[in-house]
Amino acid sequence: MMARLHPAAVGADASPAPQRASQAHGPGAPYPRRRAELGMVVLAFSLVNALYLLAGFGAKGSLPKDSPIFAAATAVLMLLGHLVVRKFAPGANPALLPLAALLNGMGYVFISHLDHTEAMDQAIWAVVGLACFTATLALFPRAMDFERYRYSIALAGIILLLLPLAPHIGEDINGARLWAHVGPVSFQPEEFAKIALAIFFASVLAERADLLSTGTRRVGRWLVLDPRYLAPLLAAWGLALLILLAENDLGSSFLFFTLLVMLLWVATGKMAYLGLGAALFGGAAVFALEVVHHAVTRVQAWLHPWAHFSTSGYQIIEGWFALAAGGMWGLGPGQGNPQVVPEASTDFIFASIGEQVGLVGLTALLVVYLLMMASGLQAAVRSQRYFNKLLAAGLSLLLGVQVFVVAGGITRLIPVTGITLPFVSYGGSSLVSNYVLLAILLRISDDTSFEQAPAEPAALEAQLVASGEPRAKASSLTRSLVP
Amino acid sequence: MREVDRRVRWAGLGACLLVLATFAQLNYIQVFHASALNNNPLNSRSVLENYALPRGAIISADGATLAQSIPSNDQYKYQRTYPEGALFGQVTGYDSLIYGTDGLEREYNSLLTTTSGQGFPKSFAGLERLFTTQPEPDNLHITVLARLQQLARQQLAGRYGAVVAVSPSTGAVLAMYSNPSYNPTPLASHNVAVEEKAWKALNDNPGRPLLAATYRQRFFPGSVFKVITAAAVYTFKPALANKDFPTTSGFVLPGTAGQVLHNFAGEACGGEMLELFTVSCDTGFGQLGLLVGGQDLAREAKSFGWDQPVPLDMPGTAESYFPPPSSFFRNAGALAKSAIGQESVQAVPLVMALDAAAVANKGVIMTPHLMSYVTNGQGQVVERYKPHPWLHATSAATAAKLTALMESVVNSPNGTGVAAQVPGIEVAGKTGTAQTGGPDIETWFVAFAPAQDPKIAVCVLVENQPPADEYQGGTIAAPIAKALIEAYLGVGRG
Repeated sequence: MMARLHPAAVGADASPAPQRASQAHGPGAPYPRRRAELGMVVLAFSLVNALYLLAGFGAKGSLPKDSPIFAAATAVLMLLGHLVVRKFAPGANPALLPLAALLNGMGYVFISHLDHTEAMDQAIWAVVGLACFTATLALFPRAMDFERYRYSIALAGIILLLLPLAPHIGEDINGARLWAHVGPVSFQPEEFAKIALAIFFASVLAERADLLSTGTRRVGRWLVLDPRYLAPLLAAWGLALLILLAENDLGSSFLFFTLLVMLLWVATGKMAYLGLGAALFGGAAVFALEVVHHAVTRVQAWLHPWAHFSTSGYQIIEGWFALAAGGMWGLGPGQGNPQVVPEASTDFIFASIGEQVGLVGLTALLVVYLLMMASGLQAAVRSQRYFNKLLAAGLSLLLGVQVFVVAGGITRLIPVTGITLPFVSYGGSSLVSNYVLLAILLRISDDTSFEQAPAEPAALEAQLVASGEPRAKASSLTRSLVP
Repeated sequence: MREVDRRVRWAGLGACLLVLATFAQLNYIQVFHASALNNNPLNSRSVLENYALPRGAIISADGATLAQSIPSNDQYKYQRTYPEGALFGQVTGYDSLIYGTDGLEREYNSLLTTTSGQGFPKSFAGLERLFTTQPEPDNLHITVLARLQQLARQQLAGRYGAVVAVSPSTGAVLAMYSNPSYNPTPLASHNVAVEEKAWKALNDNPGRPLLAATYRQRFFPGSVFKVITAAAVYTFKPALANKDFPTTSGFVLPGTAGQVLHNFAGEACGGEMLELFTVSCDTGFGQLGLLVGGQDLAREAKSFGWDQPVPLDMPGTAESYFPPPSSFFRNAGALAKSAIGQESVQAVPLVMALDAAAVANKGVIMTPHLMSYVTNGQGQVVERYKPHPWLHATSAATAAKLTALMESVVNSPNGTGVAAQVPGIEVAGKTGTAQTGGPDIETWFVAFAPAQDPKIAVCVLVENQPPADEYQGGTIAAPIAKALIEAYLGVGRG
């Protein structure tokens, strides 16, 4: 793989030999994809640094003195990320990493104008995130490796999910029990649990989708799902309820459930899962409104924010004031008073950004997320392996739905649920877990570049049943032959 | 597999539609509904925008910085500080997030927050912030001297009281200090808890520091009011000035059942106006008041700035009070007592200083003011206060006669104000010692100097003094006035 750095390889496309390119010629041979990625990384670097200068100028009226340090740090981190992808996922989609770098860098700039110490934390978390990103790509050379460890991963996910409930470890913050303290480290385990459970569900569904989609039974005149096949749905529902009731976290509960119901539908094509899922979640939500005080105030604030301005509606109305102050073009980076909105750097960073860069800037931000989701879905569609397809689709949709839950909460389409904007919000757990998510998407995308299109569905089944071990060896053999 | 791919695309489309819905809602909030939200009374952003800009400094006549904005690393960007603390607290007032503004901070709020200089249109304010190094607001320079304030505080030595000094020819306030004062710094804190605690302490303080004794409270004036009674005599019944009143220690008030008006400490006194004024003879002035009449006495008080708002450039100035003439109908006792500053007569120390200034300035009261001039960020003077008269209190001739009376108070061996004598300078003054209805008395001294070319007029009030013979305006208040005169004119100890 060192050979890729050789100047002769520039023409890898056209050169006659490359075995892998001829074997699995995706819409771009590995090397040009990385060159495109480098170009986009440079673009992201330029945009982030331009924003940093502009925001410093806007806030202080002079160029920030530490801009060379910031430029050096962002250049090193982004190039490192690029080199990691070059080494460990050379065939992956070239847009994903630059988009994530752009979001993380811009998020840092906005956070640095809200709270200096939080910005320092965020910089450290970005480094940790990059390390976890590297580790994920290095430890899992093929996407099927995730599948191999699925029970360990599922167990880890459930332990993570339950961790905040454990005495001495968990802690209530703002009415929700989301935090865990292990030694000196505090984090929100559900951010990581989300990914673990996505992996587990994708693997279970990849195996059982056919059974689940045919498992109907005739009762009188209707075809209904066999109760046995409702088990996964009910398991998902149970998890969501647990998060909702025990941890008081409406947003994560919704995210989990949506993710799992969508995966069920994508895997089986049964609309019944969507309908039933909506009904189950709706029922649980109504029940929660009767029981969970936290949820009641959130819904009150959603339906009648003006009537509760001094209490529960304050945050959302201040968020609206921030957005309105920004207007079409924004007050300019570094300007305005985004800090007035409670949780301006975390749950409500979307409003802070809207105040500074306006509707135009927020639209660009939404487009960046859509591009990221689209890149992930592209990897899903190109994947030949069922598990890869489902996992990539699940994680990509998770990203899109999470953006909707945050932005929709702030714009009052849905109640505010207090989850973070991926890669942008301040918060270590969120940032690091999203880097892991990014690494998984890149890993799946990389796999597509040398997967062979299966001739028959039966062949796919055979592949699925077969152990990944020999194939993994074969692939690493293939790789070492690539010039 | 193709089926699955199709569903993945559909799910992606669904997620896109959700994001599109937020985009539509953003259009509503940020564009179509934006102006309604921006103008909503609950929206505090315009207030914060003011805090985000530095506020002009307030500077004393002798160059001390009394209030300034320094950059802070919090959401409000600038912290207001008051380096002189309580010495100027009642002059500068405060600029508080919760409690608004007071004092000069309120009076000159718009001046302190605006920038004179290159004017960008309002809509490009954001651009201006981008392209100019730092918006620099205008600074307010005031007439008060920090060294006179310090002297006043030192002389009051913790006793409740007030010191006001003005320039008779311009109305410029040279000193305005009262005890108890307050330090505005905690009220300007960005920490809500600090602000609330300071506010509560100020409101619980029985001395009411937020109501400056110098210009927001009134007190029984006692004999300092005799300046106005004497002016009324010269104006309306000049012949009475030469009437010789028999020496007595008390006289029966007409229309009462034998109620007697006694002199202070039961002393006996009498004679013509000069003698009565010099020794501050209550029986004499009580009778003069009866002879002048309530109508004319009230009219004289009015022309000396009583019973009307004082046009000082500060919010919330109190009015001095002289009762309406109708209240004296069939109540000669009240009239006689009012003529010597008792009964319900109440004076604001600032107005008493202006009355002394009226005598000093040939009968004309200049409009009192604190603003001297305004400079822009580059230090250029952009506005300067122009002195103008407020009231024509009395004629120049009457003023000259009153000056003679007041000089006698200080210079005659038997004058009550001998403690205010300054070697080499003619001082004109009048003492006052007022009963408050409680056990304590209030001591006053009003003065101006030099008598023939007045540069400073002073009013000193010291409250809550135990009633004993020596506690008269002459022994407690007069030395303070003397110290201020010496310091201002640069003689004696000063």
